[in-house]
Amino acid sequence: MLFFSYFKDLVGREVTVELKNDLAIRGTLHSVDQYLNIKLENTRVVDQDKYPHMLSVRNCFIRGSVVRYVQLPPEGVDIELLHDATRREARGG
Amino acid sequence: MVLGVREISCSGEPVLDSENEEELMQVKPGIDIVLGDLPRESPGTLYITNKQVIWVSDVEKTKGYAVDFLSISLHAVSRDPEAYPLPCLYTQIDTGEVDDDHSDSESNHIQQNLSNVTEMRLIPSDPTQLDTLFAIFCQCAELNPEPNDEEGEEHDWFFNADQMEDEEAEDEGYISHNPANSIGHSNGNHDLARTILELQINDRRFDDAEEIEDNGDNHH
Repeated sequence: MLFFSYFKDLVGREVTVELKNDLAIRGTLHSVDQYLNIKLENTRVVDQDKYPHMLSVRNCFIRGSVVRYVQLPPEGVDIELLHDATRREARGG
Repeated sequence: MVLGVREISCSGEPVLDSENEEELMQVKPGIDIVLGDLPRESPGTLYITNKQVIWVSDVEKTKGYAVDFLSISLHAVSRDPEAYPLPCLYTQIDTGEVDDDHSDSESNHIQQNLSNVTEMRLIPSDPTQLDTLFAIFCQCAELNPEPNDEEGEEHDWFFNADQMEDEEAEDEGYISHNPANSIGHSNGNHDLARTILELQINDRRFDDAEEIEDNGDNHH
């Protein structure tokens, strides 16, 4: 649940989602659900030479299970908050 | 579970697996389908259930394709004519294969096999349908989380009890056999001998690990 609530706080920010098939999509985080399915808006493919057909996709739904990494905007990372959240999670609460 | 796109034969409406609580969510007529680099097939009817997407040809009523929502990694509305000439719902299909760089020279040949199809485009005759199509795909994807999601996550992020014990045992072993003098700080033959002894200990430990693995195999 840590990631779910954390990603929810990032809604509206620019993130880059890297898929397990190496496709990386940059876009505005529109929403995220409990399975970490991710909806992006105004997306663009980072490696456009390799995936030209994805160029113009405006909104995009990515299955949580195929996500390898989510690159966060540095200003969206609240270290204090993450500290607290991870500690609480470790205690099982 | 079968990953990827599969060909189905049906007579009229596809038969749903009602025993496994499969329900029809939506029927959309007037949808063309493009699988990978295969030619566009049209027209057809799309049956969206809470488990899978089924496309049935209007021309050959018995011919169709099905793909589980579990295999749909990504879906998106594509309206840019540069990306594809017609507005469509673009989907990426997880075939369970290790991703190969399907270069153009190979793809025509390989894509003939449905199990290698990694992209599917659904082209509604009425492009205003795209947003509702996108929305229902989102809804159905959320109904189909990974069957072993919890377990998978545990393995990714935590160690189970057995693994913890192994780790601890290894840690202890490592510390006790590894006094302060490390490689490069050896003072003479005595230390060299100890290093060899350590190696032997290490070797025996690996033997044990293999034996455990073998036992495990026998049980299965």
